[in-house]
Amino acid sequence: MVSGRNKRSAKQKQIDHANEDAYRQQWRWDKVVWGSHCIDCYPGNCPMHVYMKDGKIRHEEAAGAFPIIEQGVPDMNPMGCQKGVAWRELLDAKERLRYPLKRVGKRGEGKWERISWDQALTEVADAVLDGIEEIGPESIVHVGGASASTWGLFGRGRFATHVGSLQLDMNAEITDFAPGHYMTYGFFDPVSSIDDWFHSELIFIWFANPANTRIPHQHYITEARYKGAEVVTVAPDFSPSAIHADHYVGVEPGTDAAFALGMAHVVVEEGLYKKRFVQEQTDLPLLVRRDTRTYLRQSEMEEGGSEEQFYLYDAKKRRIVEAPRASLKLGRVDPALEGAFRARLKDGSSVRLTTVFALARERLRDYTPEKASAICGVSADVIRELGRKVAKKRTNIICSLSNAGKFYHGDLIERSELLLLALTGNWGRKGTGVRAWTGGFFDGSGLVQAKTEPNQDARQLVAMNNMMVQNLKDADPSLTDELAAIEFSKQMSTLGIGPMLFYPPAFFWYYHCGFDDIWAKEDWHDPSMKRPFKEYWQEAADKNWWQGVDKPTKEQEPRVLIECGGNMLRRTRGGQNLFLKTLWPKLRMVVTIDPRMSTTALYSDIVLPASQQYEKIAFGIPSSHTMNLTFSDKILEPPGEAKDEWFIFRGISEKMEQQAKRRGLTEYVDAKGTSYQLEGLYDRMVAQGSLVDTEKIADEMVRDTTIAGALPEGTSLATLREKGYERWTGQGVAPRAIAQASDVKPDETFTPLRNHVEKKEPYATLTRRAQFLIDHPWFLEAGEELPCHKDPPPMGGDYPLKLTSGHNRWSIHALNIVNKMMLQTHRGVPNVMLSPKDAGERGILDGKQVKVYNDLGESVLEAKITEAVRPGQVVIYNGWEPYQFLNWSDPSNIEPGMVKWLHLAGGYGHLRYWLMEWQPCPVDRATKVEIEAWNGSASPRGKRRGRNGVKP
Amino acid sequence: MAKTKQKKDTAPRQVAMVFDLNKCIGCQTCSVACKTLWTNEDSTDYQWWCTVNTQPGRGHPRDYEAMGGGYRDGVPQPGRLPARREWGGGWDFNYDEVLYGGKGNSTFLQHVGDEPEWGPNWDEDQGAGEYPNAYYFYLPRLCNHCTKPACVDACPRDAMYKRSEDGIVLRDETRCRGYQFCAEACPYKKVYFNFLRNVSQQCIMCFPRVEQNVAPACARQCPGRAVWFGMLDDAEGPVSQLVNKWKVALPLHPEYGTDANIFYIPPVGPARLHEDHSFDEETPRIPREYLESLFGPKVNAALDTLTTEMAKTKNGRKSKLMDTLIAYWWKDMFKPYDRDPAEIKWK
Repeated sequence: MVSGRNKRSAKQKQIDHANEDAYRQQWRWDKVVWGSHCIDCYPGNCPMHVYMKDGKIRHEEAAGAFPIIEQGVPDMNPMGCQKGVAWRELLDAKERLRYPLKRVGKRGEGKWERISWDQALTEVADAVLDGIEEIGPESIVHVGGASASTWGLFGRGRFATHVGSLQLDMNAEITDFAPGHYMTYGFFDPVSSIDDWFHSELIFIWFANPANTRIPHQHYITEARYKGAEVVTVAPDFSPSAIHADHYVGVEPGTDAAFALGMAHVVVEEGLYKKRFVQEQTDLPLLVRRDTRTYLRQSEMEEGGSEEQFYLYDAKKRRIVEAPRASLKLGRVDPALEGAFRARLKDGSSVRLTTVFALARERLRDYTPEKASAICGVSADVIRELGRKVAKKRTNIICSLSNAGKFYHGDLIERSELLLLALTGNWGRKGTGVRAWTGGFFDGSGLVQAKTEPNQDARQLVAMNNMMVQNLKDADPSLTDELAAIEFSKQMSTLGIGPMLFYPPAFFWYYHCGFDDIWAKEDWHDPSMKRPFKEYWQEAADKNWWQGVDKPTKEQEPRVLIECGGNMLRRTRGGQNLFLKTLWPKLRMVVTIDPRMSTTALYSDIVLPASQQYEKIAFGIPSSHTMNLTFSDKILEPPGEAKDEWFIFRGISEKMEQQAKRRGLTEYVDAKGTSYQLEGLYDRMVAQGSLVDTEKIADEMVRDTTIAGALPEGTSLATLREKGYERWTGQGVAPRAIAQASDVKPDETFTPLRNHVEKKEPYATLTRRAQFLIDHPWFLEAGEELPCHKDPPPMGGDYPLKLTSGHNRWSIHALNIVNKMMLQTHRGVPNVMLSPKDAGERGILDGKQVKVYNDLGESVLEAKITEAVRPGQVVIYNGWEPYQFLNWSDPSNIEPGMVKWLHLAGGYGHLRYWLMEWQPCPVDRATKVEIEAWNGSASPRGKRRGRNGVKP
Repeated sequence: MAKTKQKKDTAPRQVAMVFDLNKCIGCQTCSVACKTLWTNEDSTDYQWWCTVNTQPGRGHPRDYEAMGGGYRDGVPQPGRLPARREWGGGWDFNYDEVLYGGKGNSTFLQHVGDEPEWGPNWDEDQGAGEYPNAYYFYLPRLCNHCTKPACVDACPRDAMYKRSEDGIVLRDETRCRGYQFCAEACPYKKVYFNFLRNVSQQCIMCFPRVEQNVAPACARQCPGRAVWFGMLDDAEGPVSQLVNKWKVALPLHPEYGTDANIFYIPPVGPARLHEDHSFDEETPRIPREYLESLFGPKVNAALDTLTTEMAKTKNGRKSKLMDTLIAYWWKDMFKPYDRDPAEIKWK
């Protein structure tokens, strides 16, 4: 026998060649188009090439088209992930929706009748009109995330504007708010570009699992490590993002504040803090009264003095001076960081004073490395070593998205992390800082949203915006552009004006979804909550702290729920058991707009099929993470009768107008007294016909973004179609981008907060400084005026295990989770990961079914036993569809979604709502659970799911 | 089992890949990129020419390392065929019943047919060790396009061959009769069987792409930038530099005797923790014996080189090896196979 090609005959070689040709023919195409996945794969933004053959998608591939931005920093290429390279699998999947469906069985039964668009839109329109007639437009509620991206957000935004329905603020729905960042900075979301991570010398992966959630971006961490950065992963479990770290720090869930404060203690006591940074950037040098632990205010010092003027003690001139508000510049003032001072108040009394720094230092005495270690389980040596490194390393970063806010005391954790960074001067410079998610930049989407007339020139709108901002600056000359833009945003929210109105969902949940009872459970709150939750709720209402945004009210009972771009019965903490019991009976109609059958769709009355990626033009979620607007083209017609979301929303409005005429209904008012005309509704939705064609609207969005200054001159849909993406050239006009407080430079990575550090611009807080003392009476009452550690309360009841969560790697939320191809890349069924110790004590075997439960509910899933999980912890990654579980009871049914009472606070400087910002958000991490072997029959076919049943 | 003696003839040129296990995050993009390109049909449903598994683990197919094959001292070793259930995968699910069956929550989404007992990525993230000193890492595997391919030697139909221009191992599927001697002989168990067409199949190293100077899909689509591709004799190329110069990239199971051409940079892993949870910088978290069992004794020198060079940059000094591993310009990872496929215009 012979082998090796060299020995093959000439004839055989011909045959080989023919054989090879079959494969060559498979790798052929006749067209290449730009595609991306413009869903809430935040920050995603991966430019892909879609290879077409004979009008069908052959395959998808990362385009790898980015240039090098900054010399010496790796390019971002190729970008992509396993979901992205197989997106077309979703297009004709079994879970794909193709036709409008109407429920014919009971809600959730899965009995459907295919109906026409005409019928579907008419029935939805009638239900909306019924709700308006019975209760008012506030009874029409939009929920949903960003996964409907361009057209979902545009469509429901315009619908809400012209109909008066309520859009709930998705940042609370998805619990991605970072309350501690907000308390400190006055905005929650400083975000660097991903390539900026490469500049770091010490990287903490903390409350993040980028190996799962930031697949296209993770390489900057491994590459920074090769460049010499030290990577430290802090997590209860030895996560997929711990395996490539230099050091793993295992913490008890929810005790990270103690770890951070332990490091801060080392920095302060060893004198390693950056004095000038602390003096200039933070409230730590501000003077505080010893008796009340509140800032010394001008209003206490002189008649008619301001509540918002604070003081420093100038160590040079040895006297009390007013802290500058318009700038952080200290000039010749040398603010004392410590000392005992006295001031004579306007009533003649004398008070003892010290500094915030001195109070913080006193508090840090509770967090010596040894004391902190006893709380968080990290060795005192490690706390010391890392504390010194944070101070020494030129830069450091807490990278990726922080999810600390998903803990009950996440605010304290974040404030503690920031205190550590503040003391060591670690923000506003390349490779430093903390992260959350952010948006902004793509101003065109908002500008077109606001248009009321055909072909309205965006310059008008930009000029109007600038004028309003200027008015605020004129009224208060101490405001910077950033502060004025944020203030403008807050005022618009309170007044209920503008095209981007959202409402914190806490009121919807509290009044209509049964959360009043859950949040009232005192045992599940922190013991430092001195009064019943309802009293705090009432006080916040009585004092009008949420004025203008506290909707729907108790009386505004929801009648129609329109879910678009999300899957509320999966993702909302509290779970579908609660919603189906409390909210659903009030709803006359539940509508889901989605490309695929979600659990929420299964419980809907009307299901409207939306087009997928590649079936419509779309833009990626804009962000400073990747600094690009990413474009996805329309390549295919959607299957069946699926339509883009804009078609659907304007279609509903058209039918509303038609049905209203039949009812003789011409006009209605909302609770504010705003009047809505039904005649001409459709015309207003589409700006007299100028906003119908998505191609034209998309082009307008892009061109308007150049007008706003965030994209280069001359950018249009046509240039994007050529290039696939475009890098931001400026911040534009959106407060969210402006609040990043940094100029966009074409040849540099993006680092937020540089304007504060370099240009000494003040922060958007009460004190105009990064603020660590929150002297709101509630915070003082709770002992949380300064960062501290508090144990997570026993949410869910008195059970021994702590449930943590996070995103899985197999799906973007639940978008890909039931896709057949993705299900092959793991065991294909939901699982709970637990330690061999906890499994052994409970007689649980790997691969066997277990029940996870607490006082709220239960969920049955498969046990996956691993030493990577900390004893006492159980991990259930989120993103599973409830309909993958027995009785569809997914883990959200055991997560009560508690809200910390302090987050209802207001009437205090920056503690005030604006879009995506200060508001109560439900938490889930460290929920208490028990777990036991489950011996029921999971399968309706009577087959027990039981596998190898051995420890691996 | 074909008992022929190992043949000496090898291809004059050989393509190779290096996977950096310190950059691999187990995201499965390589495996899915491959799947969508080559095995996305009913007849290839369970085939994953590229798989990524958590190590330590039982691999795919399950316990493949105990199935024999390859050579010892140049003598072919008996191997066995993996059973279908040891591969697992290729599952279908009861979508219609759940979504449209009118049964409500009395049913839920699950595998159709026999309960699976294994799959392409079954023991993901489980690993070994003991908390907090657990350890694991990800190992992508595809056909090694061996210099001494046991599969080629084992084929009684002479259907398999190794191309002279690039050393890619291919099978003439028109000659293949599905005897699966190749699969028995392959010690890495990377040969699959097409039950509908009755032929064996395996990774073709994306040769239609390579012929157009485009790197294989698994390499080019790797978002972790963990894969280098090139000719092993291109002395200046990163593959040769990492394999031959720095000697930090090693074949998996060199003892299998087939001279594999997929190389791995072994994982360094975080420091262990002492009993009091302080850092133990001396004892590796991933036991050396375990890595030796995968990559042979040379893994020690490779890890020493890696840690020495990593220490240089940690101390502010330069390291050419680190520069290569960082890959400042992505396309350099594949040079000269760095062509953008979108630029190709087919006639």
